[in-house]
Formats: sequence, structure tokens, C-alpha cells
Amino acid sequence: MMLELKNITKKYRKGEEIFTVLEDVSFVLGKGEFLSVTGPSGSGKSTLLNIIGGLIHPDAGTVLFEGADVYESSEKQLSRYRKENIGFVFQQFHLMPYLTLYQNIKLACHKPSQCLQIETLIKKCSLSSLKNKFPSELSVGERQRAAFIRAIISEPVLLLADEPTGNLDPDNSTVLMSLIQEFNSNGGSVIIVSHDPGTAKLANRHISLHSGRVAIY
Amino acid sequence: MKLLSLVFKELRYRKVNSSIILLTVIVACTVSVAIFSLSRASENETRKIMREQGLNLYIFPKGTDLIDFYTVNNLRVFPENYVDILAESRTFDAVRHLTGILQVKYPDWKDPNGSSHQIMLIGYKDEAMQRFLPQQEIMGTDVEKGTVHVGSLLSRNIPEGVPFRIADKDGRIHEFRISKRLEEGRGITDQGVAFNLADLQALLGMEGQINKIEALGCVCHDGRIKNARNQVQSIFPDLEVTEISSIAEARENQRLMMNKYGAFLIPFVVLSCLLITGLLFYQNVSARSRETGLLKALGTDRKGILFLFLAKAFILGLTGGIAGFFIGNAVAGYFGREIFRFTAADIRILWNMFIYTVIIFPLLWMLASWVPALIASRTDAAKILSEE
Repeated sequence: MMLELKNITKKYRKGEEIFTVLEDVSFVLGKGEFLSVTGPSGSGKSTLLNIIGGLIHPDAGTVLFEGADVYESSEKQLSRYRKENIGFVFQQFHLMPYLTLYQNIKLACHKPSQCLQIETLIKKCSLSSLKNKFPSELSVGERQRAAFIRAIISEPVLLLADEPTGNLDPDNSTVLMSLIQEFNSNGGSVIIVSHDPGTAKLANRHISLHSGRVAIY
Repeated sequence: MKLLSLVFKELRYRKVNSSIILLTVIVACTVSVAIFSLSRASENETRKIMREQGLNLYIFPKGTDLIDFYTVNNLRVFPENYVDILAESRTFDAVRHLTGILQVKYPDWKDPNGSSHQIMLIGYKDEAMQRFLPQQEIMGTDVEKGTVHVGSLLSRNIPEGVPFRIADKDGRIHEFRISKRLEEGRGITDQGVAFNLADLQALLGMEGQINKIEALGCVCHDGRIKNARNQVQSIFPDLEVTEISSIAEARENQRLMMNKYGAFLIPFVVLSCLLITGLLFYQNVSARSRETGLLKALGTDRKGILFLFLAKAFILGLTGGIAGFFIGNAVAGYFGREIFRFTAADIRILWNMFIYTVIIFPLLWMLASWVPALIASRTDAAKILSEE
């Protein structure tokens, strides 16, 4: 198994109260799998994605990536884990406002060979004429496609997409999902969090979270 | 993409934030450099005047601003025969040796290389001995007519064998044989030329006029300075007597005051600027929380995030430090020439201070950004990136 979550629990404290966001969540993900995670707001979907991505430490449980416990490693190793294995796509795109589209993608390149792919991917996503534009000059769909290229330019083995179509119109959603599917068909693993049942259906596996627990597996 | 390149792009993007931080460095550095340079100039000024303390008394036209006597042209003159009248007076017995002097600043003397200098011209009348006191050897400066004694600073600019050339008030060039090249440490004469009084008066068109009397060999301890003052004023109500030390004391007080203000002003300005910088960096960290969150998600570690902010502080500290150094020197040069005309030539760029500037200011500004940078490096990327 490429990824294995064992009994993940995460709690948040708000004042005196403690909220359990995830409780005893376990599942596995094989190489090349496409998993969708659905559930109502506040069910812990994004927290789960961030735990897998090495951004939030769980309170209990383990995240095993290719057999190694992600959270047993040092801060530096955790950064390397994200750098070398994970690609993030966010609902808000999070493009750097002072970098052009091309530079935003280049930001995620860690090897010169990866940078060579930028032009090809920009062309494939119909963004060639916009590569020197700044994010403020791009449409929402264009920004999300740029964010997608940034997520995959470092050749991650696992793509984590948090509501990637949340801010897109149907046409742009379709374009983005086809790009994600293509990444998956080329051997990349995908975990996508989405409210949209149509988006979730494109995955070949599905889990649903309710009050921090896996409801459907 | 290299993080350093990101730093430069961000500097250009957030121009207002970057410019204000840069301004704080420039202000802090300018104030520090200017005060330091002026303080150094003041020290030199005092030292030079102190050298003159060997001369006991000066007699000036009444109302002469003694603080400014060496720094601006003292145009209050009186007849040179006042010296002879004092020497002949039975009621004036406080001083044995009297020398009438005409001392003026010459703002634009061209040396043999064509460079322009501001120099002091001092014309010495032959010394008059108090007639009714026991006679002694001559004490004052004796300059033969047609010759000059050249101060050490000027001497460096005039090759051996070359006469001293100077233009009169009508622009005609006059030549004087250099009969003596004075050693360093002769006070105002270091940057001046000593003439025979008649030569200088002719050169300046001020025949028969002087503006001070040097009274040497005064026995003015035990309150006799008061007697000297009264004696001179009873003969010439338009003259007054002063001890040279009062000028030196005034300068020393001025220097101490400048040091005192500097000791307060430099830390006050630098700390205020550092505080403003800290706040601006804190605001910068807040404005860039999503960027730092994203960089963390892309695998940048804490050191990388710290680098982003500290490098920005370093670049601004260095740029501002360099700019502030030159502006500070320009400010010191401008105001210093007004305040310390006697040692104006000594107000130079202190290059050893440049080294301190380019080290201290970047470090101080990195220190000011340290806490905000730490906050940035501990940004909860998951929380920031999930915010809508």
C-alpha cells in the first residue's frame, strides 16, 4: 500500500470546549487509486487531507506513507515529504500575486527537468498566451488550471485536491476534472475532497465522513 | 525558483511596505552618521582652539562674537595705531607684548594645481612693547615684508621653490616669497598664511585697519584679567578683552552638548525606527500568511520561511545603510560647514564608519524582523490555506 491511515483522531480546542473533528479514521490507498472524500461541512474532510499532506499532526493514530510513519519524522523530513511526494490543489488557488502564471508554476519545480515540462503543460491547459500574466489578470478557471499545473509539476505520487471545483463554473469544473483524471490515468494517486456528487463519481473509490467518522467505505 | 528571487519580487510588489522600511533605515542611519561626523568635527574644532591657549589675551572690537571669530570673517575693524596708543599708555600695564593683527578668511584661494581652498590670511604688525614695563625679547610672529609663512596644510599644496600667489580684491595676482613653512600644530595658522600686516592690508585694501590685538606675556592671574579689561576699556571703550580660554571653553561646551544630544538622539531615533520596522514586518507577515502557507505546502521548511523575511530585512538594511551613510555625510557636510567653519575642511567622509554602517544596519534590521519572521515560520499552513 502506498498510503495507510490507522485510527486517526484529531481534536480541536475552542475555549473550554473540545471538538473531535476526526475519530478513529482508517483506510488505505494504493498506487494509482483515485479516492473521493465527501461529507457535510465540518465533517473533517479538509482536516483529513491536511493530515495526509503532512500539514496537521494528528492527536492519535499513524499515517504510513510507503511504510514509513509520516509524523515520526523531523520537521525537515516532513517538509521533504511534502516537497517530493505531495501535490496540493486548493479551492482558493493560492497563487502568488507578484509572480506571473509561469513563475507561479516554476515555484514548485525542484529539479531542472521538471521546469522543462512547464511549457508543455501550459500549452496542454490552453494557458500559453497567458503565461506572463499575473493572477489578477486571469479568470477563475485559468487560475485554477495554473494551480493544478503547479501541483503536478513536481511529479508528485499523490495529488490532494481540496474542493478544487468549489469556485468554478461547470465548464471549468469539467476541464479541471479531466486534467485530474489524466494525472490519475498516468499512474498518479488522487484524493479529492468535494461536496459535488458529480465530481465524487469520477473517482474509483469513495469514502464519506460524518461527524469525523467514516460513514461509507 | 530561488527564494532570493522571491524576496526581490516581493520587495517590488509591496512597494509601500518596502519603501517605508527602507525610509526607517535611511533616517536612522542618516541621523547616526551625521551626528557622529559632526561630533568628530566638533572635537577637532575644540582641539585646534585649545592649541591657542598659550596666548594669554586678545583685544577685540566690543561686541565681537568670540565663538564665531575663527569661523566667519570678523569685519569689525579698528585702527592699527590703537596698538601704539596702548603701548605708550601709562595706565595700561597688564601686558608687555602687543601685536596688531588683521585676520580674515579668504574663501577661494587657488593652489598651483588649480584646486580651490578656503584659507585664513593673518597679517602681523611688528610687535609693540609696553614702553613703561621692563623690556623683554620679542614674543610674537615676525613676518618680513614681501614674504609669507605658510601653514602646514597649505604647504603640502605648494611645491618647494614656488612662490605663494594670491589674487587681490581686484583680481590681480601678487607673489610672495615663502620664507617659512610652518610645522603642523600651529592652530589656525595650519590652514592659513602669515603676512606682514602692511602687505595684507594692501592686498585687501584695508590699509591702517586691524581686527584684533594679541596681548602676549600678560600677568593676568589673580584677577588681573579684570584689571586689563578695565584698563583697555578706559582707553578704548570700543574694545574689549578676553582670555583665549573662554573661546576654547565655549567650544568645549558646545562639543559636550553635541555629544550629550548625540548620546540621546542616536539611540532614540534608531530604536524608534526599529520599532516601526518591527510593526511593518508584523503587518507584512500577516499580509503574506497565505504565501507562507503555500510555500510550506510546497515543501519549504521553516528556515526557508525565516530566510524570506530576514533576507528582506537584510537587503533593506544594507540599501538604507549605504544610502543613509552618504546622506548623513552630506547633511554633516552641509550643516557642519555652517557650524564649524574653522575645521570645515576636516569634515570628510569617514570610510571606517562605512564598514560599521554596512554591517550594523542590516543586522539591526534583521533583528527587528526576527520576531515577525519567527511568527511567519510557525504559520499554520493548513489553517491559512483552508480559509475561504
